[in-house]
Amino acid sequence: MKQKIGVYICHCGGNISDYVDVEKVRQSIEHDEGVSLAKTTMFACADSNQKEMVEDIENRKLDGVVVASCSPKLHLLTFRAVVERAGLNKYNYVHANIREQVSWAHSDNKEGATEKAIQIVKAAIAKVRYAEALEPIKVKSTKAVAVIGAGVAGMRAAIELAEAGSEVFLIEREFFVGGRVSQWDDLCITEETGKELITRLYDEVMKHKHVTLFTGAEVIENSGSVGNFNLKVQITPRHFKLHCNSGELQKAIDVCPVEVPDEFNFNITKRKAIFHNYPSEYPQLPAIDLKNCTRCGECEKVCSNIDFSQKTENLNIKVGSILLATGFDPYEPKKGEFAYGEIDNVVTFPQFKRIVHYCDDKLTYNGKEIKHIAYIYCVGSRQVDGENKYCSRYCCTANIHTAITVKKKYKNIHNYHFNRGIRTYGKAEIWYDESSRLGDIYLQSFEHDPPIIEKQGDRTIVKIKDVLTTDKELEVVADLVVLVTGMEPRKDNSISNLLKVPKGRDKFFNEIHMKLRPVETVIDGVTISGASQGPKNIMESMNSALAAATKSFELVDSGELELEPTVAKVNEKTCEWCGKCEEACPYSAFEKIEKDGKFMAKVNSAVCKGCGMCLPVCPVNALELIGLTDQEVESMIDALIPTI
Amino acid sequence: MARINPEFTDELIKYGAFDPNACYNCGNCTAVCTLSDENNSFPRKMVRYSVLGLDDEIKASLDPWLCYYCGECSITCPREADPGELMMSLRRWLISKYDWTGLSGLLYKSLAASISAFVLLAAVVIWFGAYWHFNLETVMHYGHYFEIAAISLVFLAILLPNIIYMWWLTVYKPGIKAPISVYIKAIGELVVHLFTQKRTLSCDDNQLRWFEHFIMVLGYLGLLFTTVFLDWFSTQSMFIIVLGYVESAIIFIVTFDFIRRRIQKDKEISKHSQPSDWFFVIWLFMMGLTAFLVRLFMDVNILENNIWMYLVNLIILVQWALIIVPFGKWTHFLYRSFAMYFANLHRATLAK
Repeated sequence: MKQKIGVYICHCGGNISDYVDVEKVRQSIEHDEGVSLAKTTMFACADSNQKEMVEDIENRKLDGVVVASCSPKLHLLTFRAVVERAGLNKYNYVHANIREQVSWAHSDNKEGATEKAIQIVKAAIAKVRYAEALEPIKVKSTKAVAVIGAGVAGMRAAIELAEAGSEVFLIEREFFVGGRVSQWDDLCITEETGKELITRLYDEVMKHKHVTLFTGAEVIENSGSVGNFNLKVQITPRHFKLHCNSGELQKAIDVCPVEVPDEFNFNITKRKAIFHNYPSEYPQLPAIDLKNCTRCGECEKVCSNIDFSQKTENLNIKVGSILLATGFDPYEPKKGEFAYGEIDNVVTFPQFKRIVHYCDDKLTYNGKEIKHIAYIYCVGSRQVDGENKYCSRYCCTANIHTAITVKKKYKNIHNYHFNRGIRTYGKAEIWYDESSRLGDIYLQSFEHDPPIIEKQGDRTIVKIKDVLTTDKELEVVADLVVLVTGMEPRKDNSISNLLKVPKGRDKFFNEIHMKLRPVETVIDGVTISGASQGPKNIMESMNSALAAATKSFELVDSGELELEPTVAKVNEKTCEWCGKCEEACPYSAFEKIEKDGKFMAKVNSAVCKGCGMCLPVCPVNALELIGLTDQEVESMIDALIPTI
Repeated sequence: MARINPEFTDELIKYGAFDPNACYNCGNCTAVCTLSDENNSFPRKMVRYSVLGLDDEIKASLDPWLCYYCGECSITCPREADPGELMMSLRRWLISKYDWTGLSGLLYKSLAASISAFVLLAAVVIWFGAYWHFNLETVMHYGHYFEIAAISLVFLAILLPNIIYMWWLTVYKPGIKAPISVYIKAIGELVVHLFTQKRTLSCDDNQLRWFEHFIMVLGYLGLLFTTVFLDWFSTQSMFIIVLGYVESAIIFIVTFDFIRRRIQKDKEISKHSQPSDWFFVIWLFMMGLTAFLVRLFMDVNILENNIWMYLVNLIILVQWALIIVPFGKWTHFLYRSFAMYFANLHRATLAK
């Protein structure tokens, strides 16, 4: 029990004292048990008052402090720092909010406001009486980071982490690195190809001996917590020996009789069961896709490097932090959405990019030459009825850039952009300008009046009520209709389920705070980057990858982490392990252990957030929250409602 | 339902349009245009129709003729798409569409064709002079007859059918059914516009331009009347002689100023000159000047020995009457006035 409590009641200029009689508050608490000092102050947060507080604590040997002022969101940390400067443990400070909760809320009732303020301050005093000095929990941290996904974001983050001095495990599910960008070809603004970017990043990744790249690899198990994650990585073999003769490799691909739709080309072409996505791909070794391989043995006859004896391996790795760079899936239109899947010359934007890649001097699709191209924007983005309410950000720019590329690459191309407002934000505006000067036609409609695509004879017609032409009904005969599809969260949820990464309403990974903590998640130690977090272009993905690398590195760099001590505690005597706390915990902080011949719960204090969800469900009241003990809370309640 | 034709702008550029594709639909041109109102977004609608290539809609529209090219839209356009010049090009394009002979379009698009036509007519006149052994009296006699014949022929065979076709495109086809009384009532306005082009007063910040244009029209029509019906070159009447001098002087003085402006390019309207614009002002200037000199040569009695002066005047006149009047910029004067007239029919019908 504290015997020398100091209480400061703030005027906040007039913000509080105009409605609350602060002097009356002071008088009504100054004789409370344990209170040795009660003052009012014009601005508690002012430097002069902070100095005075330090002097009071030192001179009068105060053992607990209460400041009744604004919201703790604004100044809790300020006053904790003040008491620390005076040599007191910061948990011996309690904050009372009498501005947002009292003076601003009850400006119409001064007497009532004063009464409420008195009770809130009394409650704070009651809590501080039982407050205990606490020290942060210290855990050891492994100086290694697992980066999940070797696309541009993952590779960029891996390079950054390795340069800073961390061990990096770069884990890629596919057999080849590069993710979506390797499928992209010509890129906007820098006029590089996706392959060039991937090559540069891959070369840098390979240069660092601290980066270990796993391809065909997936994280299948996770235990531990920030500083000490134990991951089990499953590695699927390529069934090829390392360092083999490239001539024989090509022969092996040629003789393979199995043909399956090539997902790398968004199913517009076919590939063999032995494959690489493009000739110079990294790692430069093909892989055998065992799901489709018939084991006919033809390849083994022509290529000595094939090794069907390779087995799936599991590897255990230990890391201090996990950086997610798992990317996005392109939106797949539903059958019949803008005639997709019904009219054969309706394709998606990613497919169109691949078509352009494969056509050299004449743009053809299904054997027909293409001259008039209609682009339908915002397919799968900004949906009125569908779930994807967000703007996918990259599509306007990427599509206009592609339209220009097409116009320059082939002769007599006419582009028609059926849009809902063009968003070529930032530096990409120049592409919009160039496209319109090249004679591209922009037609606009609102979400409730989308363009209609229909077949008339053997011609495909796109119709629109164009708001730019006073809602006049216009039509275009199109040789190809491109649905400019947006980004969607990955359909595969395995890694997010494993790590319990929270998702936003848009189903992308969610950060703690969009602006202030944009790459951290509520799961300590797990950071997010790139398009796994929401639609981003490459530049934005790089920014977030570098930010996430910094935050992950911060966690593993010193080898030790300090965590908040305000976590749940199990009373080993009364706990009988019923499992209710484990069910209630949103962070999986509980573990069942056996001690002295009985089962009981154990809290992983590195995982526990001190949210208190477990406390009310414990049938034997064996749980307590450090910093908010039953004693503290009960005494506060007593102080708040003394008349009952 | 209108079908988009992206190749239309390529066609329009041949008529002098600058860069209609630069338009990004901001609407600044409409905001600044005095002709624009709630029902008609002027000149943006025409810009948009041009970009989309809605040629049927443009053919049915009178809008290009209602614009007197003050140039405010071109000055205001943030993309330098030059909507003012686009409207001018649409007028040229429309002239070529109204013209049943198709020669207007050919002459607008091909400078070589225009020059060939001018040279051919000059050769014909010289051959005609040679045929009569350069006998002044005979040449002047037939020259005078030619004027009367050319005026009637051009009007009856070319301009009248073209105006009827314009009426069909802009009034009949869009379903404007005005009673005869409205047609008759609006004739007064038509005559006023023909002579004064008074609408330009509502657009132009420079009243001097309208005044110059006005006295030029009076001078031109006056000289036409004086030479054709009062037979200026043969008359003995002092009054008619002086009248002719004044009228021809007005023409070359005012057109000299027009040419000066096109060279100096100080106003938006005179910044872009197509060959058809140069032909128009230069030939008008030459017409006034040579007529003045022919009469002067007569009055100082040296024309007999300088018949070339009359031949030059005749060449200019023939080229004017057979190229510029039926197929060139002169038709602006006619179609514009009729467009006002037809617009009155539209208004009267819509009001009902």
